[in-house]
Amino acid sequence: MKRRELFSSIARSSIRPTAPFEIKLQVEGGIEEHTDPLTLDDVLHLYRRLSYSVSMPDAQKQVGKTARQVVTQLLGPKDPPAPLRDVNFIKWRDPATGQMVDYTENPEGADLQAAFAIRSWWGNNYRRLSAWHTFESLRDPLSVERLAHFWVGHWTTEFSFDDQYSQPHTLYNQYLTFRKDRLGNFRDMALDITLDHAMLFYLGGWLNDAGRPNENYARELMELYTTGIGWYTEGDVEQAARVLTGWKVARFNDQPAPKGIYNTWFDARKHDTGAKEFMGVTIPARTADNNTEFQVRNEEVRELINIIFRARPEAVSRFIAGKVYMYFVYSSAAEIDRQFVADLAKVFRDSDFDLRELFLSLFVSKHFFDPALRGSQIKTPMEYVIGLLKQLRFDDTEVAPIDSASWAGLMDQALFDPPNVAGWPGYRSWISTNTYPRRREFARKMIDTLTDARAMQLIKEMPDYEDVTKFVQSIVQYFLPLPVNDTRLTFYKNTLLEGQPDYTWAEKLNQPASAARSLRALLKTIAVAPDFQLC
Amino acid sequence: MKRRSFLATTAAAAVGTQVLGGVPLKAFTPMNMPVQLQPDDDRCLIVVQLFGGNDGLNTIIPVEDPQYYAIRPTIAVPKDKAISVLSRVHMHPALAPKDSYGFPQMFEDGRLAIIQDIGYENPNLSHFRSTDIWLSGFNSSDPEVRLLDGWLGRYWSNHIEGFPEVLPPDPIAVQIGGSLSMLLQSPKGDIGIALTDPKTFFELGQGLSPDMTPMSEETRYGREFNFVRTVAEQCDRYSSVVKNSFDKGKNVATYVDGGFVQQMKLVARLISGGLKSKIFLVYMGGFDTHVQQQDEYQNGLHPYLLGQLASGIGSFMQDALAQGFADRVVGMTVSEFGRTPFENGSRGTDHGAASVQFVFGNGVRAGVYGQSPDLNNFDGNGDVRYQWDYRRVYADVLENWFGGTAQETESVLQDRVLPLGVLQRTTSVDDAYEGRVGVDVRVAPNPASSQATIEWYQPVNSVTTVEVYAHDGRHIKTLLTDRLAPGSHSVAVSDLVSGSYVCCVMINGVRSVAPLTISR
Repeated sequence: MKRRELFSSIARSSIRPTAPFEIKLQVEGGIEEHTDPLTLDDVLHLYRRLSYSVSMPDAQKQVGKTARQVVTQLLGPKDPPAPLRDVNFIKWRDPATGQMVDYTENPEGADLQAAFAIRSWWGNNYRRLSAWHTFESLRDPLSVERLAHFWVGHWTTEFSFDDQYSQPHTLYNQYLTFRKDRLGNFRDMALDITLDHAMLFYLGGWLNDAGRPNENYARELMELYTTGIGWYTEGDVEQAARVLTGWKVARFNDQPAPKGIYNTWFDARKHDTGAKEFMGVTIPARTADNNTEFQVRNEEVRELINIIFRARPEAVSRFIAGKVYMYFVYSSAAEIDRQFVADLAKVFRDSDFDLRELFLSLFVSKHFFDPALRGSQIKTPMEYVIGLLKQLRFDDTEVAPIDSASWAGLMDQALFDPPNVAGWPGYRSWISTNTYPRRREFARKMIDTLTDARAMQLIKEMPDYEDVTKFVQSIVQYFLPLPVNDTRLTFYKNTLLEGQPDYTWAEKLNQPASAARSLRALLKTIAVAPDFQLC
Repeated sequence: MKRRSFLATTAAAAVGTQVLGGVPLKAFTPMNMPVQLQPDDDRCLIVVQLFGGNDGLNTIIPVEDPQYYAIRPTIAVPKDKAISVLSRVHMHPALAPKDSYGFPQMFEDGRLAIIQDIGYENPNLSHFRSTDIWLSGFNSSDPEVRLLDGWLGRYWSNHIEGFPEVLPPDPIAVQIGGSLSMLLQSPKGDIGIALTDPKTFFELGQGLSPDMTPMSEETRYGREFNFVRTVAEQCDRYSSVVKNSFDKGKNVATYVDGGFVQQMKLVARLISGGLKSKIFLVYMGGFDTHVQQQDEYQNGLHPYLLGQLASGIGSFMQDALAQGFADRVVGMTVSEFGRTPFENGSRGTDHGAASVQFVFGNGVRAGVYGQSPDLNNFDGNGDVRYQWDYRRVYADVLENWFGGTAQETESVLQDRVLPLGVLQRTTSVDDAYEGRVGVDVRVAPNPASSQATIEWYQPVNSVTTVEVYAHDGRHIKTLLTDRLAPGSHSVAVSDLVSGSYVCCVMINGVRSVAPLTISR
């Protein structure tokens, strides 16, 4: 029997294997489609990676379907459903005072007290934004928020950097762009973000004027966002910066603001109308007559992005495929599967940089479902926080979204506020002696928050929950990425039953308070296991 | 507490928790712990990372160079505003914060070395790649070459026997705040811990012992499982060690507010309380001064950062001097690059190349290394050319501060790198016992027109290598590699073009050097 078959047959049977990880597993699957009907383990794996997590009943409904069916459903429609909650960060009623607050005043130039008040409002709004993001993520049955969140870490913008702040409203607008573009053409996303208000402010594009270039965004557009380092010259950076001159932000009650507050506008006088030589292509000079927002946007900015994609298709496709791979499959840069990433990049190129094709091909591939890659991802703080809340079946009334957001911050992932322009470094940097204790503390507090009723609901959602051995196996299957050995299973069962014989489980089930207490004890024990950090 | 009894208590405590709910912990007894675990000397290194790229030209000011004022019309520091120290060096006024032990005084007192134009060949202008180049100690801009671990991580993970199966009683490295830096990563795992404050670390870190043994490393799942497990073990083990040092330690100097200054305060307190870590990593961001770095009164973001830097290091040195551990600490700044010599249109500067580095402590050979930047001779991108390869200071740290051998330097940096000489080598009793000592090297005639003779007295029978390096640290030639008996030895050097050289005699891994000038 091949190793692969061994694993599949074990995983499909109702009796869990004792120690499959002792088998040395080689990755066998490539880009070809995984066409076998999905097992429960497959479904849980897919949801953990693409949708934070899923409840046991919802997972069971997907068993037996094909990967393509489930992934198509999870990716959702190209145009995303509207967010559940609409938020406005410009004018809103402060619940503490009942007053309408207007966030358009510029703290620079205001007196000290007013400036302080304005900045603290931004802080409040930033927390509202983060809470909104965790709320939408928790309630999203698809992968809309998860994919948008991925792009937040790619096209970085920091809320607070040096002594500057990005206004939460602009971060919110940028996030809506990620939602809208998440399954579209990557070129369109590049154009949208290049002229995005928050990005223009964050990387100094608004200061990039004819004769006074600021190269910050021009460099990162290539180095961090499209081609990766090494595919452009310093001359290309200078020329790209010239192409990108003239785009302005409208912050606060700044004037002029021809497109309204927090909308990008074009200042023709600040645009460099000379000819540019970028990656061997000439963007011709323009006269004052055709130096308009519409023309510069299409003939220069869009053209700049088109040139990058035309001149460096291999680089762009590999860079993005590699980044997606490391985020969704396995993060170790030392062990990236170059062949698979090359194949995935080819799919991306062949589809003319269609993101839906990229994600679909990845998540239906045999490679993605390969047993050798299961359980190898270190959960990001968002995966850890949202994943656990989903698994515990919490909704936003039980745990305030604002608390979930600040927990992620304590675990080194302040939402909308990556450490620098390269985004969150990811992989093992998520787990340190600083963050690991916070993760454990979070799990303990959430488990303590589990009411008796919720605990009973969770218990009854596990298949064959009345059989204590099967119940423990299901809990492990639901909360941990791979089966555990017999020693651990026995230990977990003893923890649940407080050392009493198996038949006492039936008695406990009749006393919700007792069953809930036992479940909480078991979950706390599982939550300190190293593989609780993996998915 | 004495070292031996300390070991015994830690071990006993660990044995007490060996069995948890029937699942055995990895056995941990004093027998598992080789005595060479904790290096005997208690020297440590403080690495101050300045992220964003510090503007060297507005740190040490080239006031005598009119070109400086020509290329920086709005952000130059005027000569009468710069602080002149010993008439040799002019510092940004922010480096002398009020009521603190500022950089000018530290320089006069012989506790500060200033290394001009430090950098590397083919500068990389990306923050991230350049930071990786600095922290890894590998100068490679090839995107296919993944830089995954740090020069200090590689050195200590190999230097400490048994790592990581057995962890030393004190963490090898402590990083204040954040996720653990690449600097402290090694192919064998993390050599350090990250913590924000010792009290929280103690409260949350307790009882995190993983309830199971390591897994096979043959699967990805197993490797990641073991990684998490080791961090959990470090939390559990080191949370009380750090707390003890924190409680025993104190600060006697005054520290002002500010994140970086407070980090330095914490480091001083941990050292004062007896924490035996070899490396402390502190971090300061914000140096990416593209916009409004300084106004006409020398105020603004960059001066603020320089003020924090000088104040934090100054208060730390005061603390170290007052508490008597100043001889045991040296520190160095690292920043991924300098800024463009020309200011940009937004009263700022963009990503540049070579910049200035500070090395501080009682153990430094104080002074200015190298010339002021040549502002009429830039590299192909219009940036300051480097005079010193950044790894030369690393070689100093490894050999002259941590007592490593030249072979270890070569293995860590994968290259022959000559120490710059910014740190003084001292010899421990163990070194002397095992023949790891420096010797007097004489070169005559000097200056020479064509040929010179290098002479030294060989104290022990050992493999000896004699090499010649250019003044900038490039290896020129190896004159001799042979096992030599004790006694006087000499070797001739010839065929060198005019210039300054360093003759290096390496006995038992210890380098001794003498300068040589050839003028034909």
